[in-house]
Amino acid sequence: MSKKNKVPEVDIVVDEQAGVIREVKPEKTRSKKGHERRVNTSIYVILVIMSIIWLAPFVFLVFQSFRSYALESGGMVDYLLPKHWSLDNYRFLFDGSNFFPWCGKALITCGIAAIGQCALLTLAQKKLSNMDSSDKKGRLVWLLCTLAVGLVVFLALAAAVQGMAFAGNVGKICIVVALYLIVGYIMARMFTKQDDRLLRQIPGYVADEDSSPLKKLLSLCLEFLAMDLILLCIVSPMVTSQYLRWYGNTLTIALFVAVLQTIIVLSVSYTLSRLRFKGRKLIMNVVLVLGLFPGFLTMITLYFLLKQLGMTGAGAVPGLILIYVASSGMGYYISKGFFDTIPKSLDESARIDGATRFQVFLKIIMPLAKPIVIYTILMAFMGPWGDYVFASYVAFGNVPNYNVAVGLYQWVNVNDYQGYFTRFCAGGVLVAVPITALFLALQKYYVEGVTGGAVKG
Amino acid sequence: MASVTLEHVKKIYDNKVTAVHDFNLEIKDKEFVVFVGPSGCGKSTTLRMLAGLEDISEGTLKIGDRVVNDVEPKDRDIAMVFQNYALYPHITVYENMAFSLRLRKMDNEEIHRRVCQAAEILGITEYLGRKPKALSGGQRQRVAIGRAIVRDPAVFLMDEPLSNLDAKLRNQMRAEIIMLRKRVDTTFIYVTHDQTEAMTLGDRIVVMKDGYIMQVGSPQEVFDTPKNLFVAGFIGSPQMNFLKAKLVKEGSGYSVELLGVKIPLNADQNAALANNKVGTQEITLGVRPEHTSVLFDGKQNAIECSINVNEMMGSELHLHLSTVNNDSIIVRLPTVDLTQEQRKQLSYGNKMYITFPAKVMHLFDPKTEKNLIYG
Repeated sequence: MSKKNKVPEVDIVVDEQAGVIREVKPEKTRSKKGHERRVNTSIYVILVIMSIIWLAPFVFLVFQSFRSYALESGGMVDYLLPKHWSLDNYRFLFDGSNFFPWCGKALITCGIAAIGQCALLTLAQKKLSNMDSSDKKGRLVWLLCTLAVGLVVFLALAAAVQGMAFAGNVGKICIVVALYLIVGYIMARMFTKQDDRLLRQIPGYVADEDSSPLKKLLSLCLEFLAMDLILLCIVSPMVTSQYLRWYGNTLTIALFVAVLQTIIVLSVSYTLSRLRFKGRKLIMNVVLVLGLFPGFLTMITLYFLLKQLGMTGAGAVPGLILIYVASSGMGYYISKGFFDTIPKSLDESARIDGATRFQVFLKIIMPLAKPIVIYTILMAFMGPWGDYVFASYVAFGNVPNYNVAVGLYQWVNVNDYQGYFTRFCAGGVLVAVPITALFLALQKYYVEGVTGGAVKG
Repeated sequence: MASVTLEHVKKIYDNKVTAVHDFNLEIKDKEFVVFVGPSGCGKSTTLRMLAGLEDISEGTLKIGDRVVNDVEPKDRDIAMVFQNYALYPHITVYENMAFSLRLRKMDNEEIHRRVCQAAEILGITEYLGRKPKALSGGQRQRVAIGRAIVRDPAVFLMDEPLSNLDAKLRNQMRAEIIMLRKRVDTTFIYVTHDQTEAMTLGDRIVVMKDGYIMQVGSPQEVFDTPKNLFVAGFIGSPQMNFLKAKLVKEGSGYSVELLGVKIPLNADQNAALANNKVGTQEITLGVRPEHTSVLFDGKQNAIECSINVNEMMGSELHLHLSTVNNDSIIVRLPTVDLTQEQRKQLSYGNKMYITFPAKVMHLFDPKTEKNLIYG
């Protein structure tokens, strides 16, 4: 502390009438800084209290999930920390499945396959860049041959490591071959096309960080890994426990809905933002009014409709995907607001440059609307992930087709509350994992997306 | 490279507002045509109809011999430069310029050749690797022009391309557009509200107002023989002076009476007026500021005014005067020949005498606003 601050807090006043000098204690003035600090402190106090209220149940859930159902009472207890920490509940969730060995083998299989496929493609790219660019047919043959070799490597590995049998699996293998060739061709085209040999001649050309050769190769490798894993799930699925089955159902529904709903929402928003047609205002108003009614008012009607289509009970997974995707176009507001902030002259300019409406949407609007795309994907994923109402009645009574929420509730509600509570908690914790990871990874875009509709992003 | 023909083209918006009335124009191959007019006159709408961004309500539009009323913009073989540049912000200048070529599935080498060539013409080679955000306004406008010229389009549309630039840059870019036009020999259609741009750039000027064409002609024609009051007032800076006067017919000759001064017209004007069967009538007399001369000695046949404002522009003086009738007149007076004494006389409130020859006078009918001689 400096000396100046140690001066006693008094003012000296000359009282002329009395002819004396008096010491007067100064009035305490509220400094601006002090005020700010007080406001901040009170905000923090409120936030802490609120977060305790929010977090308490979750903390409780996490602790309970580590309390063994075998050693202690499985039901609700009046203490927070478990007496014996154990992973019994989690073990139960995976009971009867070959989850860990399957995952280990799958990673080995797909990892080796992906590295091999990448190496092949890199060779192909070298070859293609030396080839005459007008020889379209030759290039195509080269690319397809590379992909085919990669596919053979993958299938051989799957047979060797995973013990996949070719006989009796013909249908599935056909699907896998088709999927591999289509997706692989798109990825390979994108990889080989980004040939910036010419661009490097431009003065001042700075390669994007994403396009450094090592990063490109790494992302290609990851792409192939993901694709191989999905394909492996088709040809050589793991043996699941009840919980893993539910988890798989939920994941399938959520992924399909995330993709389909995002496509629909973004197309509807773009249409309403850019095209002018008769009834546009009417549609927007009707959707607004319809949106005021809660979705589950339609429950009974939807159930009968799905029953007609055979999509209840055993067909619950496609049925639920249908339900979630069907009404998704109604959630266009936020992304339309965002599209409205992108200048229209960009569209016009692109259309004069020779782009169709779809190309404008894909090549101009999408890259500019990245935050809102990610926001839409997140929202579309979260809806079905945590849904109980629709999932419970569509899959009514058909246990293997439950989603996680319904299944877990069934444990504590129907089976045996006292015995299953801690296992319910463990199930809940695992449900929270992917959504938390998604949020943490995409937080930046999410915030941009939510506010982006209001102010130019 | 193509001609453009507009026949009875009309634009009616959904709310029944007619933006463009019966637009007829034939633009020749490789011609530079400028649409000029105040804001809201329909010039941009016409251009957007040409580009295919707005539907044509009535009439036919031809590019070359092809009717393109219902052809998508991408199939019209046109390129357009926008006022706000409309560059794609997420890709580099190079990719901005290559965008249209890539959509046409052109060869990588060919794209590279064209982009580099266009960049060289416009002097933006060193910025090719940058994103538009990292460019100044003038550079962005160059990129926008470059994006249009790589396409080698049949018709080149420009929608107020210089309006967003500052005055100095605008002059420079204007000169560059003139040079560009020599190198890229194609049909240009240029929209502006700035009459200087219109005069300096155009082979032909189309003056528009409220959706109607007021006059079509070369810059010199539009300047010398404005067909009506609007064109006369719009073209030229400072604006043409308008005075109430009287046209008197005496025998075969005509003369103008203005504030007690009588100015006989010359033979050509007499003949034209007689041909148009004009009689004695009230007129609006138009005289350009640069055609008016100030008399320092003698006041025969001159109009008396008093000085309101004296604006020193350096090479010339702009004198704002008012006549006895309180009509205001602006006079441009070159400063080179002025003596010190004369300068002293040009101060506020002093009396002045101005005069102008008959050949610079424009006679307009106050009711129809038409030029009585050329209208």
